[in-house]
Amino acid sequence: MSVTTSEPTTGTTTGTRRKEDLRFLTGQGAYLGDYAPADLLHIAVLRSTQAHALLRNIDATSAIALPGVVAVFTGAELAESAGKFQHHLAAIPTLRQIEWDVLAIEKVKYVGEPIAAVVAESRYVAEDALDLIEVDYDELPAVVDVEAALAPGAPLLYEDWTDNLLLQMPGAHGDVDAAFSEADGVIRARFHNHRISGMPLEGHGAVAEFDASTGRLVLRASTQAPHMLRGTIAQITGLSEAQIQVIAPDTGGGFGVKNHAMREEALAAVIAMRVPHPVVWEQDRVEHLTAGIQSREQIHDAELAYRSDGRVLGLRARITADIGSPELYIIGAAPAVVTTGVMPNTYDIPNYGFELNCVVTNKCPIGGYRGYGQPQAIFTIERLMDMLAAELEMDPAEIRKLNNVADDAMPYTTATGANLDTGSFNQQLDHLLEAIDYSTLREQVEAERASGALVGLGIAQMVEPTAPNMHALAGQFGCYEMALFTVHPDGHVSLSVGTKSQGQGHETIYAKLAAEVLTIPIEHVEVYDGDTNLVPFGGGTSGSRSAVMGGGVVLKAARQARAKMIEIAAAMLGVSGEDIELRDGMFFAGEAVLPLAAVAGAAYLHTFLLPPGMDPGISMVVAYDPGNTSPFPDETGKLDVAATYATAAAAAVVSINPNTGVVTVRDLTLVHDCGNIIDETILNGQIQGAIAQAIGATFYEEIHYSDEGQPLTTTLLDYMIPACGDFPEPRLIHRETPSELIGGFRGAGEGAIIVTPPALANAVADALGHLDNAAVTQTNLGPRHIREILRANGVALDPLAGRSA
Amino acid sequence: MSVSFSLNGDSVVVEAEPRELFADVLRDRLGMTGTHVACEQGACGTCTVLVDGQAVRSCLLFAPQLEGCTVTSIEGVGSPGSLHPIQAALSEHHGLQCGFCTPGVVLTAIELLETEPDPDRETIERWMSGNLCRCTGYTGIVDAIAAVAAQRSAQ
Repeated sequence: MSVTTSEPTTGTTTGTRRKEDLRFLTGQGAYLGDYAPADLLHIAVLRSTQAHALLRNIDATSAIALPGVVAVFTGAELAESAGKFQHHLAAIPTLRQIEWDVLAIEKVKYVGEPIAAVVAESRYVAEDALDLIEVDYDELPAVVDVEAALAPGAPLLYEDWTDNLLLQMPGAHGDVDAAFSEADGVIRARFHNHRISGMPLEGHGAVAEFDASTGRLVLRASTQAPHMLRGTIAQITGLSEAQIQVIAPDTGGGFGVKNHAMREEALAAVIAMRVPHPVVWEQDRVEHLTAGIQSREQIHDAELAYRSDGRVLGLRARITADIGSPELYIIGAAPAVVTTGVMPNTYDIPNYGFELNCVVTNKCPIGGYRGYGQPQAIFTIERLMDMLAAELEMDPAEIRKLNNVADDAMPYTTATGANLDTGSFNQQLDHLLEAIDYSTLREQVEAERASGALVGLGIAQMVEPTAPNMHALAGQFGCYEMALFTVHPDGHVSLSVGTKSQGQGHETIYAKLAAEVLTIPIEHVEVYDGDTNLVPFGGGTSGSRSAVMGGGVVLKAARQARAKMIEIAAAMLGVSGEDIELRDGMFFAGEAVLPLAAVAGAAYLHTFLLPPGMDPGISMVVAYDPGNTSPFPDETGKLDVAATYATAAAAAVVSINPNTGVVTVRDLTLVHDCGNIIDETILNGQIQGAIAQAIGATFYEEIHYSDEGQPLTTTLLDYMIPACGDFPEPRLIHRETPSELIGGFRGAGEGAIIVTPPALANAVADALGHLDNAAVTQTNLGPRHIREILRANGVALDPLAGRSA
Repeated sequence: MSVSFSLNGDSVVVEAEPRELFADVLRDRLGMTGTHVACEQGACGTCTVLVDGQAVRSCLLFAPQLEGCTVTSIEGVGSPGSLHPIQAALSEHHGLQCGFCTPGVVLTAIELLETEPDPDRETIERWMSGNLCRCTGYTGIVDAIAAVAAQRSAQ
């Protein structure tokens, strides 16, 4: 294992220029909304103003009469030529099976649900027409929080259900009851995870073009998973997958929310076939915040059984997840299932029981967002460990070391079936503690607190399943990736992948990997993604899978291409392949030299030079499946979902303004291990961005609804995300423990957003620990919540303190 | 109605409805799709262009307000063969990932360095706090602008 450290920089470092940068910097990036074929028509979507209502009548007469309006479709009209969505999870007996339409027909279940679509010459006219459509609603009482939704007699989102439970999933591993009965004590707490939004700056969108003469549909969509979307579009339109080309152009961020198939993407496809005319739907920010994808909302009732020496004996958690309206593919319950799987974290806790209840409410659908259920789980276990440390008056680092899976227990299978393939948790933690000079820092913080300042130090750690088997969560696909890899006659390479970069720099890192194998300049490699016609299938980019799966398949393909070229070079030079060495883009055999372009040229242009029986060309479609993941849980409920596991540990120092409740992050240090690093600059960018999102989720962001289910955070003026200068530059420390997969990679994009919030929360709890009643049991630690804690402890706030009159 | 203004050094006359947002005029009427729209409320800074040298949100301007103005959009700042120093520095310091906010970042940074030739990091952060980026965590953006300022001071 090797270690590298990046200290905060002051503008003097040199970085790697990415291949994609030139077009982004000069405004030449081609995003979804930049594509405008001739005669493009615009779709505007009429959305429910009611949280829960029966749709009685929709009168679009005036809208259709508006000049510039081409068509208006209600749900019923659209359904004449559209199939239904489903979750593809019929194999799960405790999951309520549902189907839903592109547009709501009989009932709406949240404010923002699509109920009609206007097609017009411009978005302006289309939105004018929306105002002219009259909808008769029969309002129903709404349920907007999980406890109200589970109460006896609660209004039902689905009348044929007996309650509002989409999924119930109990799990018991080891002997949980025995662990609790043997325990010296139990820590109990209820944790609230608040609802947030992933918020890529570019929203969703789709441009659909149907050619009636060929029967082919081209759907451009701002999606992370073009092949998966193609399957959904086929299901809805009735076209075959061979007739559909999904193109994902340059994508302005995704963060998991664009891993879902949107109803509006299917809407554009169906309308393009019906009108027939090229059409575009571009999600605006209000739509994004009210009718896009939201995330995270869960309540955990957790219990940690311990021995008085600090050893944890067992863990129980009742996880109540708010799914909102469940009409979303991939299912919004999937992150909550992940929550159950990862809660034991880095700890040796074989006795673990959980009960997952996924509850539907009259709110926007919950879906994936960076971290995918793990931030909730790791927040809970990492707060519990600090609470246990406080209870036993032990050091938070010591209690973690005592309970971490021991080095000699590796490889270790967790209670839920994860086969951990990581480096040492304790060494990683020690690395963090040394980096921050933990004991000295702890003393300094305590000294400041003794003098009255609200200052705290918190640590947290995590292990993260990366490159997951999608089948376990989506009911389809698996854990593999595909690439089309071609060495052209001039020796330059093009490679096409099924992952989809949304800013992660895949054009650069894949080119770098291929160039290294073939010993050619990175400039000789072109990377293509985001087009279902380029490569037979791909899982897209999510779940920290692209370096592991995409990088893995690129390496595998490059090595196959190299092997074929060595065979050709050997034949051309009349030597054995074992005598050939490839370096600096040339094949050497003793004194003889062949440039790579000569070998590649022979494969296409002078095929008589090839060994007998060899097919011409150097081009291969390569699939890569590590083969170590499960599509379903085993009979005991254990599931190893990840191809490999990544780890991280974080430390935070915060200070709290006692009058305003504003938390200032003073210092944030992260130790991060994603195996072999492909490009440290790009990796640091991923981690820094994930930390920014963690800061946002902890101190700034929350989606709010009124008691009636009306969304209250509908613009970026009231849903605040972190801005420049809101937090200090984090210090990043890399450990490189290679995985056993091709390339030695582990996933990299999500660890920091998982491990940072509990470190911040533990620091806040440390700062407030001297107060009698300062349980930090919510993920939103914004000023309002801190002020509530201070007031609950009788602290008189003076928000204007320190300001001159 | 007809609106006349200067765009990236060229005189432009464009037909637009009075209610049309300037961002839409640029994108839909003039094909200048480097100006991106992310929030439509003036909150995120993504659609920033320079109007008479000042960074403004083109989603908050109506088309007629541009009459007689001098406008610079990202298409008027450097090119793939000849990047503006801020563009080059953003690449060098990895101050961009998905690129969606990048045009607005570049244009705000241009006004920043013309107004504050020798900014410290806090000044850069304050100036850039109106340009939201969801990808980078801002480190690379601040590094890039600081590097350009340092280069200019050294000259």
